[in-house]
Amino acid sequence: MSTSATTSKTARLLEKITSAQAKYNIFTSIRKTDQLRDVGTTTAAIKDNICTIEEPTTSASGILKNYISPFEATVVTKMKQFGTTIVGKTNLDEFGMGSANTNSIFGTTYNPLFPNEKRIPGGSSGGSAAAVAAGVVDYAIGTDTGGSVRVPGAFCGVYGLKPSYGRISRWGVLAYAQSLDTVGVLAKDLDLLEKVYYKLDGYDIKDPTSLSPEYRKQITKLQETHKDKENLRIGIPEEFILDLLSDKVKSGLIQSLIKLLEAGHEIVPISIPNIRYAIYVYFTIASSEASSNLARYDGIRYGVRSSEDINNYAKTRTEGFGKIVQDRLILGNYNLSSDSFEKNFLKAIQVRNELRVQFNKVFKFPNVFNSSREVGDIDFILSPTTTSTAPLAEDFENQTIPEGYAMDILAAPASLAGLPALSVPWYVDDDIPIGLQIVSQYGNDAQLFTAARLLRSLNI
Amino acid sequence: MLRFVRFKSHAVSCSEFQLKCGVEIHTQLNTNAKLFSLSSNNSFNSKPNKFISYFDIALPGTQPILNNEALLYALKLSKALNSSVNLNSSFDRKHYFYGDQPLGYQITQHFQPIAKGGYLKIFPRDGVKDELTVEIEQLQIEQDTGKSVYFEEEISSSGTSTKGSLTLSKIDLNRANLPLIEMVTKPNFTDANQVKIFIKKFQNLVRYLNICTGDLETGAMRIDVNVSVNGNSRVELKNLSTTSSVINAIKFEYKRQVQLIKDNKESEIVQETRGWDGKRTNSLRNKETSLDYKYFPDPELPKIHLDSKIMDQLSIGILPDEMLTKLINRPYQLSLKDATILTNDLSLLDYYLKLFELSINSPNNQNTKLPGNFVIHELLGNFAKLNLKFDSNLISVSKLNELLELINTNKITQSSAKLLLQHLFNNQDDINKNLFELVEEFDLIKQDDNNNQNNSKEIETICEEIISQNPKTVKNLNSKPNGLKFLIGQAMRLTQGKINALDFENQFKKLLNL
Repeated sequence: MSTSATTSKTARLLEKITSAQAKYNIFTSIRKTDQLRDVGTTTAAIKDNICTIEEPTTSASGILKNYISPFEATVVTKMKQFGTTIVGKTNLDEFGMGSANTNSIFGTTYNPLFPNEKRIPGGSSGGSAAAVAAGVVDYAIGTDTGGSVRVPGAFCGVYGLKPSYGRISRWGVLAYAQSLDTVGVLAKDLDLLEKVYYKLDGYDIKDPTSLSPEYRKQITKLQETHKDKENLRIGIPEEFILDLLSDKVKSGLIQSLIKLLEAGHEIVPISIPNIRYAIYVYFTIASSEASSNLARYDGIRYGVRSSEDINNYAKTRTEGFGKIVQDRLILGNYNLSSDSFEKNFLKAIQVRNELRVQFNKVFKFPNVFNSSREVGDIDFILSPTTTSTAPLAEDFENQTIPEGYAMDILAAPASLAGLPALSVPWYVDDDIPIGLQIVSQYGNDAQLFTAARLLRSLNI
Repeated sequence: MLRFVRFKSHAVSCSEFQLKCGVEIHTQLNTNAKLFSLSSNNSFNSKPNKFISYFDIALPGTQPILNNEALLYALKLSKALNSSVNLNSSFDRKHYFYGDQPLGYQITQHFQPIAKGGYLKIFPRDGVKDELTVEIEQLQIEQDTGKSVYFEEEISSSGTSTKGSLTLSKIDLNRANLPLIEMVTKPNFTDANQVKIFIKKFQNLVRYLNICTGDLETGAMRIDVNVSVNGNSRVELKNLSTTSSVINAIKFEYKRQVQLIKDNKESEIVQETRGWDGKRTNSLRNKETSLDYKYFPDPELPKIHLDSKIMDQLSIGILPDEMLTKLINRPYQLSLKDATILTNDLSLLDYYLKLFELSINSPNNQNTKLPGNFVIHELLGNFAKLNLKFDSNLISVSKLNELLELINTNKITQSSAKLLLQHLFNNQDDINKNLFELVEEFDLIKQDDNNNQNNSKEIETICEEIISQNPKTVKNLNSKPNGLKFLIGQAMRLTQGKINALDFENQFKKLLNL
């Protein structure tokens, strides 16, 4: 390609990015012309809680607004290796805490699916979902702790993948709640999504929670012997059929079930009782881990330090963290305090373990971590990803705190059990799709793509 | 009255104020790398913040990876202390903010420590009155913190005349994330001396295991103590940087609490942490002001699953008590005193064992006690005279063995050998010279006493000379038979020890008709 052609390609890309940025506030950093000189075939954006060395990694927090990492995340290195051009870093809810992308020092990101309205993109990977929805990148990397890739995927009308816990390296990913944190991918193109997932999936010796090569081998072996039959058994947990579901979401779900039945598949009502408690368990565990993980931000070694702190760090943390982060840190500290550790934290761990067992009893595919290898007869679970389509920013702002927490109500169970889940756009009666969530057994991420293709083929 | 006191003191062991003491020892492991990162373990006396990795300073996005070497060291110590190892231990987080604690928490083992139980015995031969079994509560692997160095900075605000100083701290994170083992004993100690002996023995143990230098001065080993008197509240003592500060702090705290009891102020003895300033203990914090560490299992470090056979397969080598027994028995046959000296000094022990090996394998070997005598009495004695610490490199093992060979082959007498060794210490340039050349140079060759007429003639002459010079001694020999030894000593001095004392003794007896 000639130099002038390259230049014009870069210029066109930057122009698109700049105008999308002006309209939707998607990015926290945009790379410069000279960093984008060799635009490859694929472009991508990275959530700003993942370390890169080319620009700051802020996690959308005041406490890190000047922080530049001296190393890059394993996912970033891999993206470069397979030829992705990274255009910049995307907006998020501070440290991943939020489901609307309204909680950021960079301000709210707006949803490009609604160019004439101020609707939220969902969060916390709102910027990444918006970048894909606005068509400025081919795919974007997000992180999903309790729905942070799937919820914005659903709200922005794109695919949002949360792989099995431990599949994609977390080295270089800022921890929110490590026992739940995963790196996820958002894209409009299912084939590209799948391709990117397989490039990023892999053991990383630097990540102590990375799925080990031994277990990976075992899963591959299981996948070879568990080929899907022609007609699938699709589980619908009764606990997901909530009064909260909007009419559009309800009718979209029903529509998809009818199409699946017509295609010769079985729809099986199932029960996973602890899904009922998932959102409480999620907020107990996530806030506890967050209160511990964010203890390092004291302004002493890096980041922003309050001018009033000389021998202390309290003022730094008061000024550096936003209100929502502060609330969750207080909640987490409370959950871990010796008075409530047993009745809150340990109780949540117990309910989470029971939830895992309940999922294991449902899936046909065995869980490699379950020594009893007890299985059920369901191929995958289907539910809506969110209770509604993207709300208006002002409606979201007027919600109570528990209403805000309820955004993750359908997404949190898969996070707690470490299961792979994919939000798929499903068009009901207009060009604003709802999100349908496919959940598979641990390690069986491959099935998400076949199930998504099935749904895509039926959504006509 | 006296009788009564004596009777009473027997009944309640030694006093009506019963001391109960337990220790908590932090042992810094001398692994190559840190506990959860690959940066090197090189904190002491290094340039500040030179040995730090991204994880050590808690950069965002970093994760811990357990260094298995630290785990191995912990298992060795567990085995040496007869502790039962937990086959499923795990790591927890202990939260507190401090400038030199980069993560905001310490990774430790709170809920499932690596080992529980076990003991270390201390015996009268170690220096205690009665044998004592010190029981171990538990061993846990944990991270060390960085170091804060405090300094004063003058402040002056322009425009006004207010001046003052501000205490600031500099932070060195070379030590952050180094591996430690925290060991807690049960409160088995009833006097400060037992604690002192225990510390010494534990230091020696970790040196034998080669898992820690065992030095308190460098901070490689740190000791906290808890003290209670007559079952009152337990007081924890911190900031004890030397063995003597441990002992003095216990003694001070004991006296303080005894006085409070005597003054009917027992209620003032509360559960608290007290520091030691070199003279007295001072309250640092009590129950009300103590921190809630908010312990919880680390959400990203995997559990440590161990094979049930691992402890049988683990070899830890010979331990001090076993070494002592070995040294007082065949083939070494050292005295308990000498064996103790060697057991307590690994480099000296190593030197001795090498020398013994060389010496016993020599075809000329005649005396298995020679190596021990020369190492402990002559070699150490010379170092002591020069006020030097033992250094195995000054007189090499093979050099000393050469000297012993000269004795064993009857080339020189033991006395000459001792003189020669002393000469080498005083004239270190001669150390590299051929020993036998020195022997010749100083005319130390042992005179062959049996077949040499000149020699016996010389002996006779010398003895006659000494008899004539010491008429008083000779005259009084019947009433003071020790005088003979004096005469022999004179003869030896004259001949610089080249001739056997026995030859002189025989000659004197012959001349004096004894």
